[in-house]
Amino acid sequence: MKKCYLGVDIGSVSTNVIVMDEDEKIIDTLYIRTQGKPIETIQKGLYKIKERINNEIKIAGIGTTGSGRQLGGIMVGADVIKNEITAHGVAALHFVPNVQTILEIGGQDSKIILLRNGILYDFAMNTVCAAGTGSFLDRQAERMGIPIEEFGDLALKSEATVRIAGRCAVFAESDMIHKQQMGHNQEDIINGLCEALVRNYLNNLGKGKEIKSPIIFQGGVAANVGIKKAFEKILGQEVIVPPYASVMGAIGVALLAKEEVRKSGRTNFKGFEVANSSYQVKSFECDHCPNMCEVVEFFRDKNMVARWGDKCGRWSNVEVKNTKLA
Amino acid sequence: MKIGIPRGLLYDHYQFLWKSFFENLGAEVVISQKTNKKIVDDGVAVTVDEACLPVKVYHGHVMDLRDKVDFIFVPKIMSIHEKEYICPKFCGLPEMIKTSISNLPTIIDPTIDFIKNKKHLLEIVYEIGGYVTYDKRKIRLSFEEALKSHQNYKNKMKQGFFPMDLDKKHEEKHEAKHKEDTQKILLLGHPYNIYDEYLSMNIVEKLRKYGMTVITQDHFSKDQINPQMNELQKKMFWTFGRKMLGAALYAMEQEDIQGIIYLSSFGCGIDSVIADIVERRTRRNSKKPYILLTMDEHTGEAGIDTRIEAFVDMIKWRVENENYVSTHGQYISAR
Repeated sequence: MKKCYLGVDIGSVSTNVIVMDEDEKIIDTLYIRTQGKPIETIQKGLYKIKERINNEIKIAGIGTTGSGRQLGGIMVGADVIKNEITAHGVAALHFVPNVQTILEIGGQDSKIILLRNGILYDFAMNTVCAAGTGSFLDRQAERMGIPIEEFGDLALKSEATVRIAGRCAVFAESDMIHKQQMGHNQEDIINGLCEALVRNYLNNLGKGKEIKSPIIFQGGVAANVGIKKAFEKILGQEVIVPPYASVMGAIGVALLAKEEVRKSGRTNFKGFEVANSSYQVKSFECDHCPNMCEVVEFFRDKNMVARWGDKCGRWSNVEVKNTKLA
Repeated sequence: MKIGIPRGLLYDHYQFLWKSFFENLGAEVVISQKTNKKIVDDGVAVTVDEACLPVKVYHGHVMDLRDKVDFIFVPKIMSIHEKEYICPKFCGLPEMIKTSISNLPTIIDPTIDFIKNKKHLLEIVYEIGGYVTYDKRKIRLSFEEALKSHQNYKNKMKQGFFPMDLDKKHEEKHEAKHKEDTQKILLLGHPYNIYDEYLSMNIVEKLRKYGMTVITQDHFSKDQINPQMNELQKKMFWTFGRKMLGAALYAMEQEDIQGIIYLSSFGCGIDSVIADIVERRTRRNSKKPYILLTMDEHTGEAGIDTRIEAFVDMIKWRVENENYVSTHGQYISAR
């Protein structure tokens, strides 16, 4: 039986699952839309992976990352639950050992990670603004009636420059509508939007940072060649999109899980049966103090397996019964 | 006679001075509850939109005290050091409170302005004490006693103590104390941001749980902070700005400090300037990692947690590499 590791990245827009073998070779990857239902999506992901890989494989470790990493971690029994920044850094180093800059644009957040001599050196994440992220691109593509997959290719066809204000998603949208009413080409407007996003990203996150090559571009938006081209144009440097760009977070956390299992000697993975269980989430407002915490109770097949959301720990610290079933 | 002190803004800085002064005078002092969701919600609901989160929360603290006391102490603080100002919102604080919140008890709102000198300090003390007693001697003695406890508190802070450590049990306090083998992080920010456990989302405890020793600008002495400020082209005329920037400049040269975190509240004018200078100087003069965390009433805890975790990971990763001599000389794995 072949030993394998799972990496699960539960993001706002997509949930990615990857399977990696003992030699750190990627065997299978899966990219599915979260659509606001993380639990069902994780189950769907595990189910599909189980169907696709044959039974010769044994899962020796699993890790979760992304904004849903805590929830996902509890569900699957993760050996390691890690933030996206570390996961992305680890994965990029795996493919390009001398990488110095990682540009990462996901669904709801974007980050820049600087590495020097193979170690994480500096990073920044977008603050209150989501103007430069995938969900905004998604929305614009939808509004213009273009499948998001074709968005980038269309941008490449552009021949004239149209400048879109990229400071804010709301203003960018009205600027785009204005440019449409002026009669500009769709390709040019899309290309203008790509450049606006890149400008916004670099102003927001790249401020004061030394962007040195090799530069890697990863995250879901890396699939958009229009954005890649805009980065290369504005930075004046080559930008590499690695083969597994959209699932790099999941790869990173699988690598970390492998390391963790090597140290601990065993995995907490609850098995693919997770996909067949029924999960339920209930929440209530605790009225014990004026903080009025929203406490979440997590059930697997009607047994409570975890509770969280309180500040004081009166709920989450309570030993949950039936942990074995979890 | 009950005097209420809102647990907001400069409370953490002056809590012992104010509390013991009123108590020495013979008044009963009521402190508003620790910041909680209700206080934040109440404050946000009544305060003008443009105010920053800590000012909104202060309003919530006043509302918490409104029906419990005879007086509420809301000083109008313009300047606490010669030739230095503090945030302009403090100058209008009593006025903001009085117009935004109805049915208030009497507000004790002395003007504290030491921009020229501190000569009239005693007059202010008599003015405040006059609400409780006519005995000037008693007022003066009460103030002198209160100053002692204030000084005591400040000295404790210099030793690495946090206001939130005060109500902990002895053994926990001991644990919170500086450990030699841990990494040190400088946490910068206005005292009302970094010491408020609710607003800061408990950042100090979170960092401690990761095994970090946390220090703030209040743990440095004048001699450590002030000389750095002479290098600047222009005098930094904000008291807290000077402290934070001075601490950052000093920390940049200290080998045992591994990183700098700046906790800012969204919309703070002083932070927008200071955080930027700190960032530029840190990147220019040192290799220390720096991160700016911004909070307002909409900030989700998950976002802050992710950034803190990644920042700590980065520091640990860096430290491990410094102590590890690779046989290949490069690209040491992070794992």
